[in-house]
Amino acid sequence: MNSAAARGIEAGSVDSQLADLAAASLAKEAGAQGAGGIGFEGVTVAYKGSIVLADFTLAVRPGEVLALIGPSGSGKTTALRAVAGFVRPVAGRVSVGGRDVTDLPPHARGIGMVVQNYALFPHMRVAENVAFGLRARHAPETEVRAQVESCLAMVGMAAFGRRYPRELSGGQQQRVAIARALAIRPDVLLLDEPLSALDAQIRHAMIEELARLHRSLPALTVLYVTHDQSEALTLADRIGILRDGRLRALGPSRELYRRPPNRFAAEFLGGANLLPVVIETPDAGNGFSEVRFGTTRLRALRPEGAAAGETRLLCIRPHNLTFVPGDPAANTVLARVHEVRWKGELHDLTLEAEGRTLRLASVPLRAPPEPGAVVSAYFAPDEATLLADEGDG
Amino acid sequence: MLVWSKRGRAGAWLVFGILAGVVYGLPAAVILCASLARSWNGVLPSGLTLGHYAQAVSGSSGAALEASLITGVVASALAVLNGTAAALALRRMEGMPRRVLDAVFFLPSAMPSVSIGLGLLVAFSRPPILLNGTIAIVFAAHFVLISAFTFGAITAGLARLSPDYEQVAASLGARPIYRLRRVTLPLVLPYLIAAFSLSFALSMGELGATVMVYPPGWVTMPVQIFGLSDRGDVFHAAALTILLAASTLAALASVSLVPARSAAR
Amino acid sequence: MGESASGSASGSALALARPANLPAPSASLAPSSLGIVPPLAVLGIFFFYPFVLILGQSFFSSHGTLSLAQYAEVLGTGLFRNALFHTITITLSATAGCLALGLSLSIVIAFVPFPGARIVSRMIDTFIALPTFLVALAFTFIYGTAGLLNGAAMSAFSLSLPPIDFLYSQWGVILAEVTVYTPFVMRPLLASFSLIDQAEIEIASSLGARPFRILRQVIVPAALPALMAGGSLCLLLTTNEFGIVLFIGAKGVQTLPLLIYDKAIQEFDYSSACVLAAINIALSLGFYALYRSTLAWLGKRGAGLV
Repeated sequence: MNSAAARGIEAGSVDSQLADLAAASLAKEAGAQGAGGIGFEGVTVAYKGSIVLADFTLAVRPGEVLALIGPSGSGKTTALRAVAGFVRPVAGRVSVGGRDVTDLPPHARGIGMVVQNYALFPHMRVAENVAFGLRARHAPETEVRAQVESCLAMVGMAAFGRRYPRELSGGQQQRVAIARALAIRPDVLLLDEPLSALDAQIRHAMIEELARLHRSLPALTVLYVTHDQSEALTLADRIGILRDGRLRALGPSRELYRRPPNRFAAEFLGGANLLPVVIETPDAGNGFSEVRFGTTRLRALRPEGAAAGETRLLCIRPHNLTFVPGDPAANTVLARVHEVRWKGELHDLTLEAEGRTLRLASVPLRAPPEPGAVVSAYFAPDEATLLADEGDG
Repeated sequence: MLVWSKRGRAGAWLVFGILAGVVYGLPAAVILCASLARSWNGVLPSGLTLGHYAQAVSGSSGAALEASLITGVVASALAVLNGTAAALALRRMEGMPRRVLDAVFFLPSAMPSVSIGLGLLVAFSRPPILLNGTIAIVFAAHFVLISAFTFGAITAGLARLSPDYEQVAASLGARPIYRLRRVTLPLVLPYLIAAFSLSFALSMGELGATVMVYPPGWVTMPVQIFGLSDRGDVFHAAALTILLAASTLAALASVSLVPARSAAR
Repeated sequence: MGESASGSASGSALALARPANLPAPSASLAPSSLGIVPPLAVLGIFFFYPFVLILGQSFFSSHGTLSLAQYAEVLGTGLFRNALFHTITITLSATAGCLALGLSLSIVIAFVPFPGARIVSRMIDTFIALPTFLVALAFTFIYGTAGLLNGAAMSAFSLSLPPIDFLYSQWGVILAEVTVYTPFVMRPLLASFSLIDQAEIEIASSLGARPFRILRQVIVPAALPALMAGGSLCLLLTTNEFGIVLFIGAKGVQTLPLLIYDKAIQEFDYSSACVLAAINIALSLGFYALYRSTLAWLGKRGAGLV
């Protein structure tokens, strides 16, 4: 499985990690085309005259967990519903496991699906809900019973078969919905905001649960739509970011987070600080460039095709900024503290440097600086990337 | 969406179209054609005329139109008045008494209209109250028949009114009558108008109780239409029916012209 | 109603800010329940008093003694048994027809929507308010002896007698009642369909269920209370239907309401009419009780659906 490969790589520089990862996924793509991957080829969906998904091309590899994230109205749910067969593309093809399903009705696709509000059939007991898909396939009753039992056991709901959905908590209903989707032994599982109706604590437990579930079903391909980036970062092997019906960024979760390819990806995934800088020395050695932010000289990862004098956006994650005591040292920004907020497990500071606002997230500080104080904020050059300044994304 | 295939959807729509067309479209079209036809001997009517409408607004049919309109307005006004009083009073009650009284005010809707007519005939042909042979007994019959629907519509409207408004009014020192006049009634006015329109529409079409009690000289439209069609004067009856349907629809359409208030919960 | 926690909290907050010289607001919104007396009295005079008189007349003989003799006499007649038989046949058949037609039309409107489906569903309320005999009159133009179908058949096959005469049997009445009362089934049905989560239907089809299985196992079970409410309302209304039967005027198709009218207005036989009315009312109240209890099951206040 792809994520297992990713987790296996712990040592080595960033670059070699990424290279390994890319190689691993390439091998995977070439190997297992027969199992249940999902393919979008130029899929365009229109609703009431406006394009909600535009020329969408993406291959979800067999056994992979791919998360689609994006603001509401970005087309992520539409992409998922095109796989399920609930929306019909006006152009392009959708395939599941190498089979073109564009013209198949939903009931002929054999896809498991879980939605935000569970959509359990309220008049059926839990076991009847889970059995529904099998009975629709006219599976023998003994097989139905065995499969219902094993699916309910898989999600830890074995004792609840006789209950009605209304007698269950939200988290329990979601487990039943997952068991119901898995009971038909799909190659592909579609999850549409599956956790957003749950409160924070249960949501965290369910993320773990889903990760465990996927470890026990490594062949299952999962397309996961969410607006919650932490769910995506925890669960997904790869993340696709959509905006206005178009795929804006796609990559392995870590790479996308650490080295966002563009401004929108940087801001949407993880809320980065973006500072306008001018490139001074494109190649400053060790794969870094030297840039100027106001009067301060800073180092960051060297972008492709950088030329001296170009304006770029310096992207630094709030938690990659740290205070350094005393005089400004190398790779530090001198900033004035604007606001200090304590959020329990971290301190969230708003700083101001060269007229720009910077966010700094830190482990709780014993003596946080007072608003108005001038501090030095350091970042490691290999945590900072330089993005093209494409305006408003 | 239940049917995903284009062919399946087309099939469902075709069945729907045929059923709705034969059951609803055809009768409506036929009445409309008949009301405008000079004669109808073959498959299609022949000769276009407005003569039946001219007949329908004059003479005995014109009188029936007038009688129906007056009866509708009077009975609906009484029903709204009585229904509002009942709904407001019931709103202050709770538990068993409220449920029982609620059922009592809905009860007339469970009664056969002919039996209501018979009851009024039996009750008001003898002392102490003698109404038989008067217009009042027609008003009474219509009032009783529509009262449950009026009460239901008003109760539904009041139920959507948040008690906050009246509580705030009370906290500001408004006494019950003042509160009712300045807060509650203005807020439920759209529902009262809707209740009136529904009552009026129902009264316009009432036949069962009316044929039991109507005095000579106060023939309502449905009774007149029955008389015409019984005598074979069907084109004239069709024209009068179209007028009746049009006034019913106009009464109902007037409801949608009343702007919805944001006072609803 | 009851005062909500927030309501009384804001009330007391306002009360604190109130200058001392203003009169204190009344503690409750319910100064008395006496307001119910006038409307109840009006209903008593015009509804319950006649109702009691009907019952009274049906139980007291012309000599003023309490007896069941009149019931025995009326129940023994062939006229009554014929009317009861027709009433029950028409009621049951028309209700079954309304349920079948209402279910089919509602399913298409709600789950296979077409452009204009919402307008159609809004027109249903309008149909409900139109007089019932309108349909009976239209049917005489379409299916009557001199109607359009018979006219067409007679000229096409050069017949001397009209071939279609079902209108003047109880089937004509039943068809007309199905037309008139189907909207009463559709209204609660569409309301309950709108409460079904579309995701349930989508999930069911993604699990491999075809439309008929989804109808049978997901949609109809969810709409069962509404179907029963609509059905029991149809039972009530078709039992009491008068205008359609009168207008079609089919020979031999006598129902209870029509028989009451004949007895009272044509024959001036008030005591028989009262016995028949008492029986009709009892039947009607039974269906009404059924309707109210299904409404309660539906979990809605009856107000909107009467």
